[in-house]
Amino acid sequence: MKIEKGIIASSQLTFMIIGFIQASNLLLSFSSGIVSHDAWLAILIAMVLSIPFVLSYAALGREFPGKNLIQISDIIYGVYLGKIISVSYVFIFFALVCQNLRYFSDFLITFIFPETPIWAILIMLTFISAWAVRAGIEVIARCSFIIIAIASTIILATSLLLLPDMRFRNFLPILDVPLQDLIHGTHIIFSINYLEIVVFLMVIAFVNKPKQIKTSMVGGLILGGVSVLILEVRNTAVLGTVSEIVSSPSFVTARYISVAEVLTRMEMFVAIMLITTVFLKVSILYYAVVLGSAQIINLRSYVPLVIPIGISAISFSIILAGSSMEQIHSAIYTWPVFILPFQLFPVLSLFIVKIRKKFKKRWANKK
Amino acid sequence: MLNYLSKKIRFWQIQNQKTNHENDKMNKQDNTQNFSQSKISLNLKENLNNLKNILGPSDDIIMREFAFGKKAQISAALIYIDGMIDKTLVNESIIRPLMYDSRSSFAEESLEVKNIDIIKRSMLSVGEVKQVTTFDEVVESCLSGDTILLINGAQEALIISSRGWESRGVEDPKTESIVRGPREGFSESLRTNTTLLRRKLKTPDLTMETMTIGRKSKTDVCLVYLKGVVNPQLIKEARQRLTRIDTDGILESGYIEQFIEDAPFSIFSTIGNSERPDAVAAKILEGRAAVLVDGSPFVLTVPMVFIESFQSSEDYYSRPYYASIVRVIRFIAFMTSVLGPASYVAVTTFHQELLPTPLLFTVAAAVEGTPFPAMIEIIAMGVIFEILREAGIRLPRPVGQAISIVGALVVGESAVSAGLIGEPVVIVIALTAVSGFAVPAQTDSGAILRFVFVILAGTMGGVGVIVGLLGVLIHLASLRSFGTPYLSPLAPLSPYDLKDVFIRVPTWAMITRPRTIGWKNSQREKLILKPNPPPEKNQKK
Repeated sequence: MKIEKGIIASSQLTFMIIGFIQASNLLLSFSSGIVSHDAWLAILIAMVLSIPFVLSYAALGREFPGKNLIQISDIIYGVYLGKIISVSYVFIFFALVCQNLRYFSDFLITFIFPETPIWAILIMLTFISAWAVRAGIEVIARCSFIIIAIASTIILATSLLLLPDMRFRNFLPILDVPLQDLIHGTHIIFSINYLEIVVFLMVIAFVNKPKQIKTSMVGGLILGGVSVLILEVRNTAVLGTVSEIVSSPSFVTARYISVAEVLTRMEMFVAIMLITTVFLKVSILYYAVVLGSAQIINLRSYVPLVIPIGISAISFSIILAGSSMEQIHSAIYTWPVFILPFQLFPVLSLFIVKIRKKFKKRWANKK
Repeated sequence: MLNYLSKKIRFWQIQNQKTNHENDKMNKQDNTQNFSQSKISLNLKENLNNLKNILGPSDDIIMREFAFGKKAQISAALIYIDGMIDKTLVNESIIRPLMYDSRSSFAEESLEVKNIDIIKRSMLSVGEVKQVTTFDEVVESCLSGDTILLINGAQEALIISSRGWESRGVEDPKTESIVRGPREGFSESLRTNTTLLRRKLKTPDLTMETMTIGRKSKTDVCLVYLKGVVNPQLIKEARQRLTRIDTDGILESGYIEQFIEDAPFSIFSTIGNSERPDAVAAKILEGRAAVLVDGSPFVLTVPMVFIESFQSSEDYYSRPYYASIVRVIRFIAFMTSVLGPASYVAVTTFHQELLPTPLLFTVAAAVEGTPFPAMIEIIAMGVIFEILREAGIRLPRPVGQAISIVGALVVGESAVSAGLIGEPVVIVIALTAVSGFAVPAQTDSGAILRFVFVILAGTMGGVGVIVGLLGVLIHLASLRSFGTPYLSPLAPLSPYDLKDVFIRVPTWAMITRPRTIGWKNSQREKLILKPNPPPEKNQKK
């Protein structure tokens, strides 16, 4: 019996990936602290670098149509090794859920609700994501279009309204940072902003036209990457060197909007964009955790796991870091290295599958 | 624990059903012994006695005994219900031919009319006549307004269609008034309503399946669709849902709606209704099915999608530009009616910095000195508005004016001048109330959502409102109406159908039917219909 009956269209996969990457624009400040005004370059390089990885994820999905990451690793690595790999992936996704929840709650507390306890916000966000996860992947996919429509409109509108405040002198001199820092910054964006879409290996099994997975994944990556690029260019052009110090440049930038003294305080819209896209990202990750753990322990339905996992995600996000600065530090120095093997692993799997196929063919020919 | 409870409840329900079934069986057995399967006998007297037993002593049931034939040798009886039949028809086309014309046509030898066929074929000048043999059928058709002819010596009864009763004519629809477009609306009689639809769509493909629902009310329900356009799966599903209804009575289409809807616990209706034949005909043309219920001017249409609430039939009669603007205005109005009070509460309690400074001063000055927090003020005013609205609807019209005076003057003006509430609250509530009526189909869900959002805004500020909106989005995205996703064509996105969502493209550009509903046979008009007047001729020199 299938654990999830939903089917999503390939276009919805694109929308989900765009929203997923747009949500990570909150995390841009990690790298812009290191590469300062060359962050746009880091974003561009990271985007180009991640395309082959995404292609290999899509190829892995094509090799096993209708199977997700858990089932694929069971097939490739056998039951025991496969289970170990699956459990570690589920754990990584769980950690990503908690990190995103925590980081976003910290953002809300810093900028909007200075006096609200963190658990109140966490419970609210987790509750709404749990609702979406319970409703299934189809519903998340359907919400994605409306969410990215709202988010993209807000990105474009704020960028246009900020045109008078942009000073492109801020980008000069280009490549001002040492090569080591540039590599570091690129790596952060590469592994945190882009390659977290490794989680879509849990989702692409439900796409109705497996042939289009490749195009829709790369398309989503590029469109999402471009929107992040627009945001970064806007932030640097408006804020200049200030963008290195503030913890949420997109939010601060929107405060500069002032059209005839009437259209002011647009940062509320940026907050709306952040909430909606982060909701989408957390729901997808959360869904992957719930579905993955249900498959590991062979449940017939993943619904009973939604609430326990949500509660543990809330408590785990609270104990994740002592303060938001601590979390930023870990995000800059440890997390990218920690998560990288999980992002490279599917490429290895694809490699193994291809080699096995070749040998099988040869054996067949010899016989 | 909830699971446990629901299991208990289900168990209890099933047990109840069992006992009910047994009761039903008992009832049925009683009835069976009385009449239902017993055949009509040869003896007229016995038949009439039987019928009297079944129909009881009600005095509106008329049994007219008479005799006809050359020497009035054949005794017969007419049974009908006074008020439900067309009297002239019974007098002119049934009694007159039998009593006068039969004298010449019945020879003496056919003293006993064994073959009731002759009467049916050559005597009754009525359109629809049926022959039946059991009392069950006789009683049923008698109660729905037909006239029964029983003849001594015949084992069959004739059911003569003679329905005719007082009913409201075709009038202006009360709920959906429009400026340009047909003025007729559905009425209570099913036949009138089907006729109104037939007159709009004169094609043999227009199919009407009638079924009787309701143990006691025996209401006629008619499923109307356009063969070849509608998705057969939809009709199968609709038929199945209608036939499983087993209840005492269907008094309005609202009963049917609650029995067949997909999401019974949702505050959003997944079944559309309309009082306008033109709107229903347009929906049938798009591949939807309509459910007509006898006794109700409101016709149900399935499947319903969310954006349907924002469409009005007038959009299609007026020119596209203004229609598109009006449609966008409806979306804005709906958002205002749902989010207006909530954003006022959120801004004044949590995010004062979002207001431009001069406006902030004005609001602060107006609110200063009022005793309650913004959330309480808004909720109280909202409840008062709902009370005024409800009272205004129920009161007789002359008294209704008093309500508006009380509402506008006493509650609005005096409460402000007495310093109980701030002026901005009155403005917000008034604006909300007016914009709520711009989208009539979602008025009820809008009113509920408004209060929910106000509470969210009062407790969690703007973030609470946005999280609430996400919740509504998830809920809407998870709804389906007869297989069609409720948020389509937006989610899942179907680009071809966006021609009729936020904008309304010109009629000649609406080439396809909505794909999410009637994907079959989706082209509805010729491709090149754009008006193309001949180029101006060169003027004579």
